Amino acid sequence: MRILLVEDDLPLANALQKSLQNDGFVVNHIDQGKLALNALSTSDQDMVILDLGLPDIDGLNVLKQLRNSKSSLPVIILTARDSLESKVQGLDYGADDYLVKPFEIQELMARLRVIERRLGTAISSLICVGQVKLDAYAHKVFVCEGNSDSETQVHFSKKEFMVLKALMENAGRILSRDKIESQLYHWGEEVLSNAVEVHIHKLRKCLPDKFIQNVRGVGYIINHGC
Amino acid sequence: MSRAEKQFDQQLLDLAHTLLAVHAVETSVYGKAKTQSITPIPQRGSFAFQVLVDNKLVLKTNNAPDHLIVATANWNDNAHEAANKQLRHPPKENFLEVNFLDKRWRALALSTKTSPEHASLVSVIVAQPLQAQFVLAQELILAAMTPMIVAIVILPLLIYAIITRGLKPLHQLRSELGKRKANDFSSLNLQAHNSELSDIVITLNQLFSRLDGAFKRERHFAEDAAHELKTPLSVLKINVHNLTQDFSKRLSIGHMSVTAADVSRLDSIKELTSSVNRMGHIIDQILNLNRTNSAQIIHGSARFNLNVILQQVIAELYNGILNKEQSIELESSDVDLCAHEFSVHLLAVNLISNAIKYTPIGGKIKISVKQNTDDIILSVEDSGSGINPQEYERIFDRFYRVGGDQHNSDALGCGLGLTIVKHIADIHGAKIALSSSSKLQGLQVDVHFKHTIVELAGT
Repeated sequence: MRILLVEDDLPLANALQKSLQNDGFVVNHIDQGKLALNALSTSDQDMVILDLGLPDIDGLNVLKQLRNSKSSLPVIILTARDSLESKVQGLDYGADDYLVKPFEIQELMARLRVIERRLGTAISSLICVGQVKLDAYAHKVFVCEGNSDSETQVHFSKKEFMVLKALMENAGRILSRDKIESQLYHWGEEVLSNAVEVHIHKLRKCLPDKFIQNVRGVGYIINHGC
Repeated sequence: MSRAEKQFDQQLLDLAHTLLAVHAVETSVYGKAKTQSITPIPQRGSFAFQVLVDNKLVLKTNNAPDHLIVATANWNDNAHEAANKQLRHPPKENFLEVNFLDKRWRALALSTKTSPEHASLVSVIVAQPLQAQFVLAQELILAAMTPMIVAIVILPLLIYAIITRGLKPLHQLRSELGKRKANDFSSLNLQAHNSELSDIVITLNQLFSRLDGAFKRERHFAEDAAHELKTPLSVLKINVHNLTQDFSKRLSIGHMSVTAADVSRLDSIKELTSSVNRMGHIIDQILNLNRTNSAQIIHGSARFNLNVILQQVIAELYNGILNKEQSIELESSDVDLCAHEFSVHLLAVNLISNAIKYTPIGGKIKISVKQNTDDIILSVEDSGSGINPQEYERIFDRFYRVGGDQHNSDALGCGLGLTIVKHIADIHGAKIALSSSSKLQGLQVDVHFKHTIVELAGT
């Protein structure tokens, strides 16, 4: 995947470039907003990592102009502005994600991978968390048994699969019941009050112990380390 | 009134003297013979007098009685003596009040001796009805007082009107300032026509704009400082990551494979990571402390669901909970709180991350929201070792940590968390109560929010 990195701080850009390249991304670095807009209008990029504090044009303006030109290019904002207002503003302008400096590089990688899967440019559509593998395109789930390499396929209904996919894509993050519900159902579709609990119950029966954890009053989570 | 009386007495006296003088002359010129018959003199009623020559009535006004007005008994006895005295002494006024003709009169009797050759005693008795005196005095007083009374009624109204008119710009200024919120520094929109007030308005406006500038600069400073400090910190973080990767690659050559995870477990790398994290935490906390200054909160309060905020905060902090294998529980229904959302979020982050830090591995944390009729209580309880009640007051101090430098926790912290919590609670008029948790035996922090916070307290 080709990433355009728009960042005016050279040491940060260099370090980031190196990390991303290590993880197999192709990274082009640009340090000015105008140049970024030029590059985006001509070259073929898959996504943008955008710093907001640019010397010539504000990052938000770059984003605005990009969206005005009908580009649906995924954008992740990197910024030191961590107030709620600027976060909401960034997302309102059409950013796909928002990372506040100083960020964990793993966090950035995880979000890049979510975008990668969504774009369909990922080499593999497999999401692996612990003993469970989920194939996002084939709609298949495999579980490794114990220490052996043998995999067994587990069959889930469409909704159950979607719950599992949402949790695995966000591994390490708690998803509230409401959020899971909103990913499953359209507006106006009748939802049983305990629908999510029923799906989770079924998933748990077929998956390893403690794979899906419940945080009382908050939501559900699948941990990386499982 | 007494002055009026004096005045009347003086008149009476003067009249008496005049009459006396006239008759004394008359008697001495014409002799006694002429004055044998009583001659009534028409009088309207303001005065009555009787003139006696040698105790015989010779002249009287028609409103005077035929008998002597003043009892003559002692008058006769002492008349000569008195008359003699009067030659040597100035006549002494001898005012009396007597009744005749159904009226009460004020009377005065004077007598004098005429020239020595005739040696007749001329006496004059003058009287004035008290009623007339009184009525006149009253009229006088009334005439003098009426304008005063009218003035007393009208003047305050007039003065009030004038002062109100004069102070109108000041009132406008006051209401203009009263309407203003603590953190509103726009210039006053006030037309002042008199020079004193326009000077004040100009000075105030200059002050407002300078304050506004200062606060904006401070806010921007915080933001700029954040950017300036956080960017190099990100560089540090990414480079630690790259270093681990490089190191693992370098070590892997020829030997058995070394993963990045193995490298990151090395002591020096662990120290480096934790120091970088600690620095990031301190920068965040200092900025948060600065941000929760009441002067820095520029956006008003809004209604939001406290439950959703708490879920977000727990989700944000879940990695820490996971690392310490703690269990966390949120007991809350949908409760709407009217407050500054970002600060309440920050308050929850600080309280919950404190609970995570000071609760041992495998401990329990419970967060609950209770809605009472008059307040909303956010409680955070943990199964940690708690805090000695003697330190309850001090833990809100800046940079204070329980146990001081020997702080026996390897958790990263800088002693600002509860100060920030206190700031936020103060801004919202909320109260913080510390106690020992009855269920979990650790610390319990209760934040009592009021139901409606109309206005955020400013400085």
